[in-house]
Amino acid sequence: MNGAPPPPPEEANEGLVCAILAEQVAALRAGMDGTATFDLLWRTTSLLSWLSCLLKDMPAKTGPAPAELARERDRALTEVAEVKSALDNLAFAQAQRQDFARQIADCVVVALERMAVAEMPAGTRFSSGDLAELYVSEQQRALHDKVLQRLRDPAAPAPEAPAPTPEPVGEAPQDEWW
Amino acid sequence: MPTILVLDDSTTMVMSLSHILKGAGYEVETGLNGREGINKLNEGVKPAVILTDLNMPELDGIGFIKEARKIAATRFTPIIVLTTESGGRKRDEARAAGASGWLTKPAEPAQLLSVVKQLCPTKV
Repeated sequence: MNGAPPPPPEEANEGLVCAILAEQVAALRAGMDGTATFDLLWRTTSLLSWLSCLLKDMPAKTGPAPAELARERDRALTEVAEVKSALDNLAFAQAQRQDFARQIADCVVVALERMAVAEMPAGTRFSSGDLAELYVSEQQRALHDKVLQRLRDPAAPAPEAPAPTPEPVGEAPQDEWW
Repeated sequence: MPTILVLDDSTTMVMSLSHILKGAGYEVETGLNGREGINKLNEGVKPAVILTDLNMPELDGIGFIKEARKIAATRFTPIIVLTTESGGRKRDEARAAGASGWLTKPAEPAQLLSVVKQLCPTKV
């Protein structure tokens, strides 16, 4: 007998791979916490609001300023308002993107867990229909349908990469209420 | 000062919505799922408007709306669904459950505030 270690046991087990992948994605999802970033953004916008109030109150507290200083103050107030609005929009858009990514990760984790050995009793199956039940957006459903179509008809064009979450633009149309 | 009840299972979204609404002068109560929302209502919170996500653990948005409509104080309170879902079936379900409106994420702060202010214009 030589000292070579024995070969690893056979591990042709997709269920085990699914279980490991589920844990990997769950860890990735747990790392999606952007609270510190958002906290800093919100503190910054709160600080800008405070500065804006101070600048607005200044004439009442200190008396009229020289014309040049008053013009500078007005320009600063305009700039502060613009930056604050932009930061508010940025923080809200980022929060929604992160929420959407987290929901997709949730969907992947649940699907993998169901396909994993520990979660899949013998004889049970997990179908694409079961997967579709986990979706939380039309974007996911549309991509799902394209993939199914491609697999059923290999001549069909490959699905395009999913579009990034669109930037919110403009006012809500009234019918967006329903 | 009117109170807005915000329900979303994403802490980041709850904090973000709270920040925007407080900045516009509203009081904000929050919950991370529909069950927490119902508990708030049973504790006596009287929101002028409710913003709720759909996909939440324990009690989802549809379930929350159905239960909230059984509570006398919130039978007619505007409930806006704010969700990544845009599908007609879910929208019909929410309407049948008693939702007052629907906003699809991503939304803009101005868009959100425009809806809330129309429903609750008595901001101090």
